[in-house]
Amino acid sequence: MSLAERMLRIDRRIIFLVIGLCTLVPLLFPVGLPIKISSEVRGVYDYIESLPEGSVFLLSLDFDPASKPELYPQAIAILRHAFKKNLRVVAMTLWVSGTGLADQILTQTAKEAGKENGKDYVFLGWSPGGSAVILNMGQDLYNAFPADYGGKATKGLPVLAGVQNLRDVTYAVSLGAGNPGVEAWYVFGKDKYKFELGGGCTGVIAPGLYPLLRSGQINGLIGGLRGAAEYETLIGQKGKAVAGMDAQSATHLAIIVLVAICNIFYFSLRRQQRRQGG
Amino acid sequence: MLPRLLILSIMTCVPAFLPAMAQAQTMPQQLRVIDTPSDGGGSLTVLWASSPSDSATTKYQVLLHEAGPPQDSSAWKVVAEFPANTRYVRESKSAWWTRSGDPNDHQFVIKNGKGVELNSDQHYAVSVASVNGQERLIAPPVVASPEPNWMNWNQINNLVLALMFGAIVFYAINLAKRKEMFLRRIPGLDAVDEAIGRATELGKPVLYMTGAHDLHDPSTIAAAVILGRVAKKAASYETELLVPHREPITMAVCQEITKQAYLEAGKPDLFKDDANFFITSDQFSYTAAVDGIMLRRKPAANFFMGSYFAESLLLTETGASTGAIQIAGTDSDHQLPFFVTTCDYTLIGEELYAASAYLSKEPIQIGTLRGQDLGKAFILSVIGIGTLLATVGVLTGNGWAQPLLDLFKDLK
Amino acid sequence: MIFLRRQLPLLITMITGLVMAAQYYVPHPASEQLLTTVTKWLQIIGGFALVLGITSLFHLHAAKIRRKEAGWAYSLVLYVGMLGTIIVGLWNNGKESIDGALTSFGWVYSYTLVPLQGTMFAILAFFIASAAYRSFRARSREAAVLLVAAVIVMMGRVPLGEYILPLSGDLSSWILNVLNASVRRAILIGVSLGAVALSFKIIFGVERSYLGGGKE
Repeated sequence: MSLAERMLRIDRRIIFLVIGLCTLVPLLFPVGLPIKISSEVRGVYDYIESLPEGSVFLLSLDFDPASKPELYPQAIAILRHAFKKNLRVVAMTLWVSGTGLADQILTQTAKEAGKENGKDYVFLGWSPGGSAVILNMGQDLYNAFPADYGGKATKGLPVLAGVQNLRDVTYAVSLGAGNPGVEAWYVFGKDKYKFELGGGCTGVIAPGLYPLLRSGQINGLIGGLRGAAEYETLIGQKGKAVAGMDAQSATHLAIIVLVAICNIFYFSLRRQQRRQGG
Repeated sequence: MLPRLLILSIMTCVPAFLPAMAQAQTMPQQLRVIDTPSDGGGSLTVLWASSPSDSATTKYQVLLHEAGPPQDSSAWKVVAEFPANTRYVRESKSAWWTRSGDPNDHQFVIKNGKGVELNSDQHYAVSVASVNGQERLIAPPVVASPEPNWMNWNQINNLVLALMFGAIVFYAINLAKRKEMFLRRIPGLDAVDEAIGRATELGKPVLYMTGAHDLHDPSTIAAAVILGRVAKKAASYETELLVPHREPITMAVCQEITKQAYLEAGKPDLFKDDANFFITSDQFSYTAAVDGIMLRRKPAANFFMGSYFAESLLLTETGASTGAIQIAGTDSDHQLPFFVTTCDYTLIGEELYAASAYLSKEPIQIGTLRGQDLGKAFILSVIGIGTLLATVGVLTGNGWAQPLLDLFKDLK
Repeated sequence: MIFLRRQLPLLITMITGLVMAAQYYVPHPASEQLLTTVTKWLQIIGGFALVLGITSLFHLHAAKIRRKEAGWAYSLVLYVGMLGTIIVGLWNNGKESIDGALTSFGWVYSYTLVPLQGTMFAILAFFIASAAYRSFRARSREAAVLLVAAVIVMMGRVPLGEYILPLSGDLSSWILNVLNASVRRAILIGVSLGAVALSFKIIFGVERSYLGGGKE
């Protein structure tokens, strides 16, 4: 077997090792390259920045622990921004397996910002039905969530003063890892109840949401870990996403180099075979 | 004669040289207040004629009072205030076929919220005042009441287009029942027989997956149809078939389909009830279980049909490591790159629906496909012609094409 | 019996389908109230579907344990895990934390579910690399174009790539916002037309595969 053939049939475990090292080493020895801000992420940031104090901000954390690496930093960054702007934060989730994670994220950031549950923010929890929950909230929020995650009655909470349904929400952002996610919030939420909507998602779903972004159906899109890193840079509080960008950079470069090597050997083998055939 | 002409010319020209002074302020004219059409109630539309004195320095105030007009003008509630050279009917976002009034008239919609509460079937007095500094001229009030409507006429274009498309689909299905329709061969389908044949030669099972969604999804229905074909071939070659499921109802339906397929192949005794089995609905638990099946049973052919999410690469890469021939078909466009790179054949998007139509030869399936194609052709034409008209409109500065383009807009 | 299994479900589907389709165009409060009621029903039925899934799972693995089939010990593990989580969850009223302190249910969630799901997702990074190495070959002109686009986007989406090749950021943004968006829009139109056509067929009883059973 020639070198080219051996390289093309290389054991996958060697590739796994390369990727493992490219992920681990930058996390242990970070470099901290500058991050350029995209217009997609700026769309969400600028809109939240423009909201007056006391505006109702709905954050739907529609992801489970599997998508935590990408969406957890996004959620933390957005909540930090919302609390800094003294917005009234209403959080919820459409994914049952993400309820614990969502509660933990909200509690952690609220504690950091010195915010009070019921007065500055509320976690509504999860309700079965997916898009049916959005429709229900659009009609009557208190019907969809009669109590918050802690069991307290939602009607009468200071944070929900003047909020009857989704029409009273100033801005909603869905951080989605699949379905139900950003698309469901547009189709069953914004299209019917006319609130402004932004989106956040995993890197793999992001390209599929660009049509919604380009047509103005969502006013911004935070895509993957890169989007989270951009948002952290915008709010001036660097966290897990920025730290992860070095690892992501190294991994991307490693894959590019591997693909280049693979193509070099592929063409070399093809030339060999043509010479032998000719 | 000459002096008169001179005086006349001076009188005509002098105003042009005078600084642009505001013309004498007038009371808003032709005030009309109607129930806002095509809504659920709780809203009134106020219309009045524009005036030569409208400018950025003068303002209009929209005034509201419950029941009848107030005795004292100070009792009016100011609902809105804006520059007098804004808020025209022509700027309204509603459909042109539901607009009231002249395009150059002013329009303001009083809605519930922000300190205003309008109840249906209750009367309200509405007026408009024109304000210039300290001077305020209030038009004679009009009494109206908001009412809920039974039809949103702004969406009539949506309804007509939807019904048109439905009619096209049913027409195409009827046509397919009466005569044969051409459907191009999908390359991936040739590979299905090849894959099952390979599994038979190696004496290994065939693994077939129907995706993450339930039977409400067209991709799952298509996957179930293709399973029928694969099961029939597997039955005739006497090759073992394994179909792990994520959804109990899909499993029940696929069990029936597999049983039927074995019957049609003339091998009912070879049919096994547990060929179709339910694992779990959780994404990664299912993936781990199927990966385990692939590594232990080492199927020679893997079929990934239906909708998939992040688990797609985990499944296909594990399958590739066992040396199986892999055929995928999905409408999940975000997973297509992973399938294309790891599978031998991939049916992309609607090729999956076309494959199920091609295999089943059912007029309903084929007719639907033809109907969808006609719908797409219509949309393509509208996009092409619309782009051309919009471009011509912009270049000529003329808005004549806009009403036609609005027919295809989503207006509420 | 045929009426209950075939005609009645088809009739219910047609009536509710037409009513809910019409509901979209009717702004009257009565229509909105109907929507609220129906979505509540959907939520309740959705809850029952969960029960169906769990029952199927229990039944399947109970049979495996009873017959001592190959791998039946894993079915036992599944039983223990499922029952244990249910008991712990009910004990803590479904709460993962109370006043910031982790409950036993929260412990199960944070120290088993979260790391297990995270692990499965993390495997993707390695698999993407090995899949890319195996299949990103410029076998044809189209494959070469795809390869170049992939390399540009991979570089443009990370700070190191933008540092090495500053143009990659703007180029990848253009690829995503122009090329990608237009193609995705086209796929979306196609898939949406498919969904609308299927809905029409289901409402009018032309498509009956969701009812199960063989051909009539």
